Amino acid sequence: MAASLRSPGWYRAAFSMAIGWVVAFVLVTGLRLILGWDQEISWESITTVSLITVPIAFLYGIGCMDYWLYWLSGKPTKVDDHADHGARKWQDYFHFNTDHKVIGIQYIVTTFFFFAIGGMLAMVFRAELLQPGMQFVDAQTFNGLFSAHAALMIFLFMVPVFAGIANYVLPLMLGAPDMAFPRLNALSFWFLPIAGVMMCLSFIVPGGAFATGWTAYAPLSINAPIGQTFFSVAAQFAGSSSILTAINFLVTIITMRAPGMTFWRMPLLGWANFATSLLVVLATPFIAGSQFMILFDRALGMNFFDAAQGGDSVMYQHVFWFYSHPAVYIMVLPGFGIISEVISTHARKPVFGYRMMAFSLLAIIVLGFAVWAHHMFVAPMQNWIRIPMMLTTMLIAVPTGVKIFSWLGTMWGGVIHMRTPMYWAFGFITMFVLGGISGVMLAVVPFDIAVSDTYFIVAHFHYVLFGGSLFTIFAGIYHWFPKMTGRMYNETLGKWHFWMTFISFNATFGPQHLVGLEGMPRRVADYAEQFAAWNLFISVSAFVLGASFLIFVYNMVWSWRNGPIAPANPWHAHTLEWQVSSPPPMFNFDEVPTVVGHPYEYGVPGARHGIFKEPEPVVATVGAPSEESAAESAVGDDETSTTDGDA
Amino acid sequence: MEAHAAHDDHGHMPVANHSANVNREWLGMVLFIVSELMLFGSFFAAYFFIRVVQGDPWMPEGQELPLYVAMANSAILFSSSATMHWALEGIKHNNRKALKTGLVLTIILGLTFFGIQISEYVHIGFLPKDSAQASVFFSLTGLHGAHVVVGLIILMVVANRAFKGHYGPEKENHWGVEIPGLYWHFVDVMWLFVFTTLYLL
Repeated sequence: MAASLRSPGWYRAAFSMAIGWVVAFVLVTGLRLILGWDQEISWESITTVSLITVPIAFLYGIGCMDYWLYWLSGKPTKVDDHADHGARKWQDYFHFNTDHKVIGIQYIVTTFFFFAIGGMLAMVFRAELLQPGMQFVDAQTFNGLFSAHAALMIFLFMVPVFAGIANYVLPLMLGAPDMAFPRLNALSFWFLPIAGVMMCLSFIVPGGAFATGWTAYAPLSINAPIGQTFFSVAAQFAGSSSILTAINFLVTIITMRAPGMTFWRMPLLGWANFATSLLVVLATPFIAGSQFMILFDRALGMNFFDAAQGGDSVMYQHVFWFYSHPAVYIMVLPGFGIISEVISTHARKPVFGYRMMAFSLLAIIVLGFAVWAHHMFVAPMQNWIRIPMMLTTMLIAVPTGVKIFSWLGTMWGGVIHMRTPMYWAFGFITMFVLGGISGVMLAVVPFDIAVSDTYFIVAHFHYVLFGGSLFTIFAGIYHWFPKMTGRMYNETLGKWHFWMTFISFNATFGPQHLVGLEGMPRRVADYAEQFAAWNLFISVSAFVLGASFLIFVYNMVWSWRNGPIAPANPWHAHTLEWQVSSPPPMFNFDEVPTVVGHPYEYGVPGARHGIFKEPEPVVATVGAPSEESAAESAVGDDETSTTDGDA
Repeated sequence: MEAHAAHDDHGHMPVANHSANVNREWLGMVLFIVSELMLFGSFFAAYFFIRVVQGDPWMPEGQELPLYVAMANSAILFSSSATMHWALEGIKHNNRKALKTGLVLTIILGLTFFGIQISEYVHIGFLPKDSAQASVFFSLTGLHGAHVVVGLIILMVVANRAFKGHYGPEKENHWGVEIPGLYWHFVDVMWLFVFTTLYLL
């Protein structure tokens, strides 16, 4: 026991968390005694402070800081022996680990765990909305349910799951042995369970979960019960996690590409994460700022948002949306990268307009900073802001359209292999176009004012985030599942999963456009009789949608244990991650490969993306399917017309 | 998962290719500083909305900021950037004495700045809750003060190492001074903006 308290792990984490809570108690109570404030113990203040001390203690206990504390003590730093690298047994996934592949899996599993919780919350409030009137929960609980649903889905699923996929795939794709800062990478991961657990814990504190929506508009959130503090602090942890990961990605992409891999030879997933990470570094501090102000107002009695003291609550919306609009792109740009990889590989065609694909990503991040106020068309802000924001919002459809048409151009004349990732890619393109069109409608000021805070908005952002981002996530998970686990997933179940999700998704969110246009307000527990029929239909569809996730979970778990062994390169892809075994060796490559060509030269005879200097050709190094795959790709080459991939 | 174990015999970690002519840690610190700038930016946005958009007076009646104390304090903090630069130039030319003296002077100047800041808080005569302007004032200076504290802790670690004989004139041997120094310069430059907007304008 004493030994396990000294070494990093869950025992030490539990012990230090207890210490962390005691520190919070002593700090608050002691300060209040010294300053002579009222002598009663303030549990609310203690809880607020412990939301900071306990997680930090946990991070220490689990081992995130051991090396840094060693450095702080001034001892000579030793060369890392990689003892905390790689997973040997499944328990290793529950410990501090600096291997980007382990961290990637940790990210993906954790985020899907919180995705499941967020989904179940949605099931509960859809049950409440099954018919008019109040059935299962009261209005305050209902508000807590949809707030936690959104907060978990955004901060604990959409944003970090992309970081997880990129964590696993990106260093492999770039020919790097790991991320630039492996220990920082591990720390970023361990912020996430903290943020997620904190948001979930808010349900059990007095006053219930935070109930002000994921937007936490001031001044409503200032006077809300203590659950609101849980949201604000959790958002800080999730935000720090994404900032640190983004820095890590940027440094990795800039400094650790394999020899020969210029920016214009980099796979588009690398470009997508480059753009996203820039966005995160520049935008995410603003949500940290907005939540700091909320916390200062709540805990320290400051007056950022109290109009009586000269505060400005519209300022909260500006600061919040200055992050949260770019956040929309943070939640979809990596998906664009995934889709480019999937479509090009499974359609056996070079990406159409590769450079324009990269430039359009950069155009989106630049424009993404100039549209935030379109979330505030009904807020009391200056009138002159509305029209410029409407125009920039519409303008953003142009680079997005460039991407859509480039994907279609990539598929045109290709040899399309209808495997599960490709299903999701098709689903993504169709659904995202629908969500994009309603997005342009919402950019129009009068239309937006008319449907503001109705279900039309709910339908719009579920089409872009569920039909858009989530579909790309599924495409990516299926696409790289063989690489991550060394097993093949079940195609039949994958297709069942797709069709069930696709149909029930449209049945759930399609009708919400209609009830929204008829004026059904969002975020309300009860509704008028006239919407009853559609809501019954929506709720039932939502339950089917929830059930479709079970197919996915079953497929993943079963295939990971019992699926057929995956070859190194089941899709005959050219990018580097497919040139090593599945799963890759502990340090990714025995020798860093040399990049000699573009990543998507499918159908070009003899085209190579990367080569290994020794012991000779690619297939020999991986020792996996050799003759067979060479023959098959030769067939693929004949089938595919050589076209202008690289415009 | 069992398959992971099969690869353990793969021996060493290959040396990553350097695809850009920058130091990784240095680039990481620059990007971190960019994100810190944006964090300060969100509080400057609060300042902007209260002072410019709402047009409220800065500061409100009866809440005066001690300009001359802050000016003297700024001079102290800015001079610490010079001593930090001296320390770095010292180790670049293998002048260990300059390294140690420079670091110690920087820490003393930083501590003095922080002490005066605290005393300013105590004697300023109003509280963060007294007005929105006071909230912005205490948040911005407090956020900056937190960065000063973090910078001081890092510099103390560096000084401790310097006295133990670590670091050297070779390029790869004084990143441990240069990168903390970069952070310290950021803290100083940030103060220039905080001081100008809060006290001078």
